[in-house]
Amino acid sequence: MLNYNPKRSDEPVWWALFSIGGTWFALLTPVTVLFIGILVPLGIIDPSTVSWDRVSDFASTFLGGCFVIATLALPMWHGLHRVHHAMHDLKIHAGVWGPIFCYFFAGLVSALSLIFLYML
Amino acid sequence: MTTKRKPYTHEMTRTWWMKKPFYRFYMVREMTVLPLILFTIFLTFGLGALVKGPASWQNWLDFMSNPIVILINIIALLGSLFHAYTFFDMMTSVMPLKIKGKKLDNRLYTGAMWIAVIVITVICLAIAC
Repeated sequence: MLNYNPKRSDEPVWWALFSIGGTWFALLTPVTVLFIGILVPLGIIDPSTVSWDRVSDFASTFLGGCFVIATLALPMWHGLHRVHHAMHDLKIHAGVWGPIFCYFFAGLVSALSLIFLYML
Repeated sequence: MTTKRKPYTHEMTRTWWMKKPFYRFYMVREMTVLPLILFTIFLTFGLGALVKGPASWQNWLDFMSNPIVILINIIALLGSLFHAYTFFDMMTSVMPLKIKGKKLDNRLYTGAMWIAVIVITVICLAIAC
């Protein structure tokens, strides 16, 4: 059963993830999109820099793995928190399922990043 | 018990945010997350392709070279920069910094954040290339 009158709000948890994600989005997402999303696909950066061997070696290191998890998970928690509130702004009243869907999706991507790295 | 009260409820349309420049600015800022979410979904599939092996990884790289995907990524880059602009601006109010008891000038604050973005970008590209 859902408790609609909790003693304490769960908002600080989502808000913290939203803030950390927002910081990542501002500081590290630009270079990530620029590199893997624009410069490599356009051939401006040599495709051999993202060869399977090189990228899987990077993702297998501890720091590389942490970077991959943060790159996937943090922007998702930020983005879906905003989607959750934008639904209210746009009068899409999904009730309790709105936040459940949003945070479940962010959690799913976070879990997938961990599972994929474990499988690598 | 029924009530005979008839409260006045202000009519709110779905397009309320189109009425004022400030509201439009707000909505554009909120919507910067849409290309971000798409890009992050692309990356999640990319990690899955990396796990599957070199052939899948190459397929994913080919997918990333699709003009529509590149266009979405360019919008995502512009979105992230616009978000950064609003985020640094907000930080001067949410997390004001004091140096020797004096509030740090807003332009110095946001300027330092932009320098941080440039430094991070250069370092990451140097490591990646």
